[in-house]
Amino acid sequence: MLKKLTRFYHPKTIEEACQFLGNGEGKTAVIAGGTSAALRADSSLEALVDISHISELDYINKDAAFYHIGACTRVQDIYKSPDLKGPAGKLLQTAAGKIGSTLLRNAITAGGNLAGLFPWSDLPVAYMALDAEVVCRRGRPKRTVPVMSLIETRAPQFLAANEIIAEIIVPAYGPGTGTAFAKLAKTANDYAMISLAVRLTLKEGAVNQARIAVNAITAQPVRCLEAEKLLEGKVLTEELIAEAADKATDSINIRKDIRASEEYRREVFAVMVRRALTEAFENANRKGGQQ
Amino acid sequence: MKLNTRINGRDLCLEIKPNATLLETLRQAGFKSVKYGCGEGMCGACAVLIDGKPRTSCITLAGTVEGTEIITVEGMGNPDKPHALQQAFVDAGATQCGYCNPGSLIAAKALLDSNPNPTAEDVKDALDGNLCRCSGYVKRVEAVLSAAGSVTKQKKSTRGKK
Ligand SMILES: Cc1cc2nc3c(=O)[nH]c(=O)nc-3n(C[C@H](O)[C@H](O)[C@H](O)COP(=O)(O)OP(=O)(O)OC[C@H]3O[C@@H](n4cnc5c(N)ncnc54)[C@H](O)[C@@H]3O)c2cc1C
Repeated sequence: MLKKLTRFYHPKTIEEACQFLGNGEGKTAVIAGGTSAALRADSSLEALVDISHISELDYINKDAAFYHIGACTRVQDIYKSPDLKGPAGKLLQTAAGKIGSTLLRNAITAGGNLAGLFPWSDLPVAYMALDAEVVCRRGRPKRTVPVMSLIETRAPQFLAANEIIAEIIVPAYGPGTGTAFAKLAKTANDYAMISLAVRLTLKEGAVNQARIAVNAITAQPVRCLEAEKLLEGKVLTEELIAEAADKATDSINIRKDIRASEEYRREVFAVMVRRALTEAFENANRKGGQQ
Repeated sequence: MKLNTRINGRDLCLEIKPNATLLETLRQAGFKSVKYGCGEGMCGACAVLIDGKPRTSCITLAGTVEGTEIITVEGMGNPDKPHALQQAFVDAGATQCGYCNPGSLIAAKALLDSNPNPTAEDVKDALDGNLCRCSGYVKRVEAVLSAAGSVTKQKKSTRGKK
């Protein structure tokens, strides 16, 4: 592993990190939590830029309408944060808390979980269900992009050589929005067989926005667009939820691996979507909003 | 490559290979409490505190702990002067083959450092990354809870003496 590695850089600022990445001295990559097996198995890398000690990348802030999460915030800090509340905060916390174990969550970062995308990555579906945006920095210059474009293109292709993910921006939402997260795994800290995040935002009793984002059962995180469309504009009923769950199940390409067959996942997935939509709907209807 | 860290309260400069893991680095430097279990971050036998946070040293590259402070079980206590947690693990019988104990003790110490009065649920949550394949999971929860009691008592009595 990392046979060609000769050096580490320890930048203290984002600008310094981008400089080290862009200096063209052999093959260089960012390391954040450092937990990615793919990163540690790379035998072409010559240098690693360790961004995990950059304090301007480690924070959870809230302004009037958004949460701002620094890319190197440990997912354990998301799980335990007293500042994350409401429909968006709870979804992020629940998803983060289901990742691996305490020992891993103390290493894994909010940005690394998105950039080093695996079928079992749990936070990306939460980001997708919340319509999060990602701030990417190349030194000073920055661009803010929808999380979906980063996921579809994959971070290594999407980002320039000297560019890093610096922040994830998540709309906070409020009363009238409900979320739910669900994960199916063999044990509490095994990789997911199904990772699912749902958001329903209601307007005058009807569904204004529906988001159903899944991973692990698929090869990469996807949204169930047809099921979302079926729900939008309608008043929710049990029948409609069941219909949406079936549509969601029909729309995805189900992956199989040593953990479970395609048939099993299909069966469980439909039930999980139905329950998650029901839970999100209850949360959206809570007096005073989801806490 | 040089690595500068503070391990169990002592500043050390170690010569390492750039691709060395923290686990092999610590063991080579003589900190044999740190155990090799699965080597994949799954079992927690290799847990150490890095700047106060318990993490798996087997998948941590040593180069990423430059300038940090590391605590292993050697830094918690020894047979003559055991840490309250070590004594509690012995008293509760929360040990059998003992291989997972160092990692569990480290995770438990991190919990008590940030939450001196945990509930049983807090303990289970904090030790969720430390697999034990022989003694089981009940006694170590009892051990951590009883250590928490004695740590709080100790703190209270030293405060009383002031
Ligand atoms: C035993 C084990 C169990 C796990 N279980 C789960 C689980 O249940 N659920 C889950 O979601 N995850 C799980 N993970 C974590 C997951 O597999 C990845 O290892 C993790 O998400 C990577 O995050 P990191 O911060 O460690 O990133 P790193 O490993 O440091 O980096 C991963 C990749 O992203 C790039 N990168 C990192 N940060 C940035 C940035 N800010 N900008 C640009 N590029 C960046 C790196 O260059 C690298 O290519 C588990 C890992 C292990 C080892």
